[in-house]
Amino acid sequence: MSITLLKAGLQTTLQGAPFRGHRHLGMPSAGAADGLSLALANGLVGKSGGAIAFEITLTDTIFEIMEPCLIAVVGSAEFVRINGTDRPQHQTRAVLPGDSLHIGPSLAGCRTYLATSAEIHAEELLGGKSTYLAAHLGGFHGRAFKDGDIVELLQETSAGNIDRITPPALRPHYGDDHVLRVTPGPEANSPPKGLMLDFCHATYTVGARASRMGMLLEGPPLGTGEFSNMASAAVFPGTIQLPPSGQPYVLGPDAQTTGGYPRIAQVIRADRHLIGQLRPGSRVQFVQTTTERATEIYREKLSLLTSWLGQIDLW
Amino acid sequence: MPENAPLIHVCDDWISIALPDRESILAAQAAFSASGQWTEIVPGMDSIAIQFDPRLLSPDEAARLARHQLNGATRVDRAAIPMVTIPVCYDRTFAPDLAFVAEKIGIEPDRFPDWHSSRTQQVAMLGFMPGFAYLDSPDPCPAIGRLANPRQLVHAGSIGIIGQQSCIYSFDSPGGWPIIGRTPLRLFDPGQEQPALLAAGQSVLFETISRQTFDRWPKGPAQ
Repeated sequence: MSITLLKAGLQTTLQGAPFRGHRHLGMPSAGAADGLSLALANGLVGKSGGAIAFEITLTDTIFEIMEPCLIAVVGSAEFVRINGTDRPQHQTRAVLPGDSLHIGPSLAGCRTYLATSAEIHAEELLGGKSTYLAAHLGGFHGRAFKDGDIVELLQETSAGNIDRITPPALRPHYGDDHVLRVTPGPEANSPPKGLMLDFCHATYTVGARASRMGMLLEGPPLGTGEFSNMASAAVFPGTIQLPPSGQPYVLGPDAQTTGGYPRIAQVIRADRHLIGQLRPGSRVQFVQTTTERATEIYREKLSLLTSWLGQIDLW
Repeated sequence: MPENAPLIHVCDDWISIALPDRESILAAQAAFSASGQWTEIVPGMDSIAIQFDPRLLSPDEAARLARHQLNGATRVDRAAIPMVTIPVCYDRTFAPDLAFVAEKIGIEPDRFPDWHSSRTQQVAMLGFMPGFAYLDSPDPCPAIGRLANPRQLVHAGSIGIIGQQSCIYSFDSPGGWPIIGRTPLRLFDPGQEQPALLAAGQSVLFETISRQTFDRWPKGPAQ
């Protein structure tokens, strides 16, 4: 059983739930950049939210299906075509050997997830299977797919005939204008004063060198004061760092575990999946909230999703 | 709150705690680990961060729990942590910056291996890449600084030094530390129960090995 990547695209990797509990060893989270779209795709094929799926970035991809199974596509792709016929996202679809699956490029947003009912073979380490590109660990030989790669599919894990459609109210909107809610970071109140106000007042544009590690945010530079050289300290996906240039940097799922730049803000957990849909040129505005409110928002979001997907968390 | 209570900052689902010295960071790490209540416990150079699951704890509850566990933290007996010996080959092909570093220190390049392996080193923290170790030495050393132009490729096992701080690269990666040698040991092996060779708080001794010994070193599983 297998699936062939006829056209692998810009950066297609196997991603699922992040690695957890190993950041003190320098092991980043990795995992799906947009954990919400991943969970919705997995839900449509009867899998748990954090199961391994194909994460597709920006450009179009073509898969050849070698075995009958169910698939679902959720994300920013413009279209999904099976044997040349347009098919909707957010819907379980049965495919047969020889079927060609063409997933379109992202005209807005950045990432799309292809989930299969059969388990996708991925290298397992530290209790996870996601790909961590910088160290060539996990996933498919620790790397992004190349044209012609063949991925092994294992036993069907989900039960029989599932025919599901994501409820419209739960479908994310994929655009290029984002509002991300943040709480102040440990260095937010260091000099200069009013940093958070300035940060939340500006509109930023995601820079060209965006990756799973992080993205530079271009906009009016922030004052960095005396605090540009701090001792290395923990950072997490969604942490906003402020390098000496004054241009903030938002960390993604592959972010290093520690960093030496002031941590001025933290994107709240409920909004972190949106980072996975940022692309060069996306506009971002940050809105400050409190940690108490951030927890409420996260719990509300999960309870909304739980009604459709069962027990779930985001990261 | 007692006057000497550590500075705690809650950011969404993680807490940053500023701590005065390496001993208190180690003690805090041990106390947090023992509780089993944190999803991540990440020591920094002068702080520690802990992440919680916001489904289970509110920020207030997490901060209260953290304070309580910090109050109960006890000094870690560092003498009980086994010292790790790291074999280092100072062959010039592995040490492109050795001459430059020796000059900064003010010694002959030939004497550098003796100088380097006589120093006391401690693992301050891991970061940058899985298993990448930041080391501290209390022994004096002039500031060397990073390379003006970082290298695109630094080989796994390379040892960098910028002054009292050294590092060991765990994977082939870009890097800006001046490189003065290479160890044949594998710093990170995800197949092991303890995937990282080093841990914060350990003492490290560098031991000079010849190029021949390096070349004959049994290779771990391929990376």
